[in-house]
Amino acid sequence: MSQAPITLIDYDAGNLASLEGALDRLGLAYRRAASPDEAAESGPIILPGVGHFEAAQKSLRERGWWRLLPGLVAEGRPLLGICLGLQLLAEGSEEAPRSTGLGLLPGIVRRLGPGVKVPHMGWSRVRQHHAHPALPDPHGGWLYFVHSYALEPTVNTIYVADHGRPFTAIEARGMVMGFQPHPEKSGPAGLLLLQSTLAWMGATAPTPEATCN
Amino acid sequence: MPAKRIIPCLDVKQGRVVKGVQFKQLRDLGHPVDLARRYDAEGADELVFLDITASLENRGTREAWVRDVARELSIPFTVGGGVSSVADARSLLRSGADKVGINTAAALRPALVSELADAFGRQCVVAAVDVKRDPDLGWRVYLKGGGEPTERSALEWLWELNELGAGEILLTSMDRDGTGDGFDCELLELAAELPIPLIASGGAGLEVHFLEALEHGADAVLAATLFHEGILPIPRLKAYLAQNDISVRI
Repeated sequence: MSQAPITLIDYDAGNLASLEGALDRLGLAYRRAASPDEAAESGPIILPGVGHFEAAQKSLRERGWWRLLPGLVAEGRPLLGICLGLQLLAEGSEEAPRSTGLGLLPGIVRRLGPGVKVPHMGWSRVRQHHAHPALPDPHGGWLYFVHSYALEPTVNTIYVADHGRPFTAIEARGMVMGFQPHPEKSGPAGLLLLQSTLAWMGATAPTPEATCN
Repeated sequence: MPAKRIIPCLDVKQGRVVKGVQFKQLRDLGHPVDLARRYDAEGADELVFLDITASLENRGTREAWVRDVARELSIPFTVGGGVSSVADARSLLRSGADKVGINTAAALRPALVSELADAFGRQCVVAAVDVKRDPDLGWRVYLKGGGEPTERSALEWLWELNELGAGEILLTSMDRDGTGDGFDCELLELAAELPIPLIASGGAGLEVHFLEALEHGADAVLAATLFHEGILPIPRLKAYLAQNDISVRI
């Protein structure tokens, strides 16, 4: 069984303190990796992200992640994008019309609205769109969102939420998943979501330093 | 529509949460992490920390408790107090705060709001505005914790903050603050026309006051003493709001 820690991509575009706190509370081993050299050899990779699509993309390119991630995914490496991380996995975004996304999830990220307050900031209910082995029906549970752009629901959408129109809250294709909400900011429901997803992706608890018995 | 948010506000002095009694004696309520845990467990939707002694010397202390809070808390939090540059905001956000609160510095140099929005996205920028009713301006903006009147009309300033790139407004009625007489709903109704979320502050005393503020267009309600003293536990407030058809996270 693999004992590889979760690799957290550290590229100046994410709130890693909260995410690390959440992983600590779940007892999951992780490692920050500013460049692909620092990544664990196996195990799930998390691409967090807040900020502007293009700035984040540039930073990922400079650090070598942009070129490498599609290959890792092709090898079957689990990848979880959170918030802007999800958007970067898509084919592109209206936020940066001249750039393309990683194309690991289908669809173009579009601006929310009109007719609603943007950014969509706060707690919204999510509901099941398609079944997924890792994620139970959320039954209208609340998750925390902060974003101005979103993917439209597709056949790969697991959970949807509404802000003016239905949008993708959780998307999955194979071992690639994207969360539009912040599970690390979504109270107990978010922790549970992170736990189920990472367990499904093969994350493991830290190895005890010594074992008795 | 997202759920209406309930936000406890915590004043921090030199790394401790304090409660001011008549401005002079400050009562120690504990470490920010302990209160953060308590409110997280009670079902608060978000926290606002206001560092009332923010200064250059205290920056290290502040980064330390902000980092500790970020690691413990499973809900978002804002840190305000003395943020007057992109560098100040970066230090807080890197330490793990989700948003930064700005007030006086924005009024003195409005371009700061745009600089912060450009650097971090407008969702990170909470513009705090303290106002008092005024015969000439409707509501007048005050700076430095309410000590210094300006020539700005509150509503004009709110719209300007929106244009500049504020992601959210934290609007405190100084007339009502500490009275327990209820929020200034007339003010809230006007401010709620802004296309960005509005946090109502100042005047909460009873459950019904929160309901009124939310019915008058606030997206979130903030209070301190009522929550700190356990006078109105958050679960009770949320149950009351839910019974009155307000969408809250329970």
